[in-house]
Amino acid sequence: MASTFIQSLDPRVTRLQMPEDINQQPLQSEALDQLVTFQVFMQKKEGKNFEHAGIVHAPTVELALLYAKEQYSRRFTCSGMAVAETSTVMASPYTDGGISVYQLLEGEAEATTATADVYEVFHLMKRGKQHEHAGSVEANSVEDAFYKAKESLMPEKPVLNIWLIRRDDLLTVDEEDKDIWNTLPEKGYRDAAAYKAGDKLKDFKEKNEATSSH
Amino acid sequence: MYGGGNTFEKLQGTDLQNEDPQKLAEFEARIQRGEKIEPADWMPALYRKQLVRMIEQHGHSEIIGALPEGTWITRAPGFKRKLSLMAKVQDEVGHAQLLYAAAETLGKPREQMIDDLINGKSKYSNIFNYPAFTWADACTISWLVDAGAIVNQLANSRGSYGPYCRALERICAEESFHLKYGHHAVIHLATGTPKQREMMQAALNRWWGPLMHFFGPPDKMSVHSETLMRWKVKMASNDDMRQQFLDMYVPKIWELGLTIPDPLLRKNEETGKWDYTEPDWEEFKRVINGDGPLNKERLAVRRTAEERGKWVRDAMKKVAAKEYVTPLA
Amino acid sequence: MNTDALKELLYKIADDQLILGHRNSEWTGVGPLLEEDIAFSSMAQDKVGQSYQLYQMLHQMGEQEPDTVAFMRNANQFHNSQFVELPVGEYDFSLIRHFLFDHAELIRFSMLSQSSYEPLAQLARKIKGELKYHVMHANSIIKQLGNATEESISRLQKSLEGALPYALGLFEPSPFEEALKEGGIFEGETALQAKWEESIRKIVEQTALQLPDLKTLTPVYGGRSGVHTEHLQPLLDEMAEVFRVDPTAEW
Ligand SMILES: [Fe+2]
Ligand SMILES: [Fe+2]
Repeated sequence: MASTFIQSLDPRVTRLQMPEDINQQPLQSEALDQLVTFQVFMQKKEGKNFEHAGIVHAPTVELALLYAKEQYSRRFTCSGMAVAETSTVMASPYTDGGISVYQLLEGEAEATTATADVYEVFHLMKRGKQHEHAGSVEANSVEDAFYKAKESLMPEKPVLNIWLIRRDDLLTVDEEDKDIWNTLPEKGYRDAAAYKAGDKLKDFKEKNEATSSH
Repeated sequence: MYGGGNTFEKLQGTDLQNEDPQKLAEFEARIQRGEKIEPADWMPALYRKQLVRMIEQHGHSEIIGALPEGTWITRAPGFKRKLSLMAKVQDEVGHAQLLYAAAETLGKPREQMIDDLINGKSKYSNIFNYPAFTWADACTISWLVDAGAIVNQLANSRGSYGPYCRALERICAEESFHLKYGHHAVIHLATGTPKQREMMQAALNRWWGPLMHFFGPPDKMSVHSETLMRWKVKMASNDDMRQQFLDMYVPKIWELGLTIPDPLLRKNEETGKWDYTEPDWEEFKRVINGDGPLNKERLAVRRTAEERGKWVRDAMKKVAAKEYVTPLA
Repeated sequence: MNTDALKELLYKIADDQLILGHRNSEWTGVGPLLEEDIAFSSMAQDKVGQSYQLYQMLHQMGEQEPDTVAFMRNANQFHNSQFVELPVGEYDFSLIRHFLFDHAELIRFSMLSQSSYEPLAQLARKIKGELKYHVMHANSIIKQLGNATEESISRLQKSLEGALPYALGLFEPSPFEEALKEGGIFEGETALQAKWEESIRKIVEQTALQLPDLKTLTPVYGGRSGVHTEHLQPLLDEMAEVFRVDPTAEW
């Protein structure tokens, strides 16, 4: 029977025992098995602001956070991470021509009630860059949160886009679990700096020149 | 990793006629000013279509590109190489994730892209359809194929679409590790025992042709490519990238005492450009159309991974109990 | 200090990590979901990296270089449990093995962080974060897939039942058990197993999976004394294929 499987140069692939005619078999044409998307925010160093890093696909927010850790911080220094389901992020429109999103807001914030939620506010200051955490506000609704952010977090420079996320919708790595970033310092094999072969090359070239000049 | 030679949609004369001329002018002015386009911005349908196609092909090239080097992942000699190769192949999977994410912001779900890879609707870089016969092939890929990819990716990272540029910024940082690792491994083979040198030379002989194909056929300037260049979708011509690659790497290959299997290869003092034997573009076309040495196996592996992982994704989907949402940025 | 006892301990831990890290790297690029693929690969790298640290420690005690030890021994010289050498199988088996193994690993090293052998205690403290992540990942995914579809539950259940006798082999009694305890080097396999049972039970109870009565199972022993399944020698031959072309060459 072995001859009916694809024999590969890669022993792992040979072990997959793929039928020779696999590409001729009909494709499973079912609905897309597409998971939920999560926006990932990362804090590079203690004391720095969280910044948007990218997305992950995951079934739940817990696994999203674990996936985000390996996809976005396996190589870069990191001291904190947070994820939120994309659908929980409230985004403002983009502005142009030096106008801040906050200038589009007319009206005033309401008085905060006891049932208010905490919202985390992220600003985009330049196209092409990432959204960065600006602070948090307490507000009765999303609309209200925009006004509250205008009151307390509006910078001098124009903000081109704002994201608001209820704090309850964000999952962060607990303080006591932050040691997951304390990995073996011997992870140098992931860095370009670990690969120095200049001396080897130099010796080789010198030897070559010596032999070719004879 | 990724090369040039992207296939773009043919431009129809009517493609831009349906667009609102004022919006189109504003869009082009923004790109002219050097500003990035973000997902929520208005953009011509053609721009969206070409970008999805290009970024998707790039993503496919990463996930398929994990396979040729993956061939040696269980056989890397020694701890250092074993860890490096594991990390490198992992990075390529990570690159696919980042690139698909960038393409997703344009409205095409990731699973749709993966389906289109498996059913053959969308392409990936031709070079990954060639086999890695020995350890030296894996090292050659890590060094030179990644070197080619970096030339292409650095150019693209100056493009106009924000999410793609951000993904490329991350990717390029990791590629510098790939390049150094690959060079390091090749230096060890080329300066090593006679047997190692022999392996290395044989691998170079095999990969030179595919490397010359890597950036795609010579460009014929068309209205089409002018539009893509104006929109900063296509950032450099195939020939320019090929010349840049030769400039940077031919001397580095020669200094290792290796022979490049092209008797015509030399820097032309008058033109300042490299002369070389024109690669076999008929072969290039044949491989793109599915008839390369390993097209069948590469797709079979991807398909098998998807099909055997389906129960995991189905279970996760049930746990999530929520619908997919297009990512924001 | 009883050097033989210490060496036996270090070898078996290192061999477990190397062989399982090697096995799990087979998934890189062909995992069920890109994000899972990446996470699983990191954990495989961690294992290989940790084994290297232990071989280095052994080297300091007079054993051969890590590369020689890892790439030049034959199966009967390896002290890993048979559990880690089994083929990767389908993803359900690999996940269950990850879950069962990594729980034992985390507990083992948290015990070792109190070891009287300072280099080992230090290493245990250094890798605590990595091991913690592995267990967080294992728990999270087992809890989710173990409560999801009929297929995911029955796959995991079947793998769990198949894996457990081998997993119990992780705690194969050591001839040096008493010496290790007396020297304050390690509390021993029996203590480890008891903690492990409690630790995995806590998670399995939160799923639709059934944990069999472990007392009724026959542990698969032998690995610690060099007795292996037919899978280990081919694994080693594959791993060392290039290295053995010329073991004296620099690769
Ligand atoms: Fe790369
Ligand atoms: Fe890449």
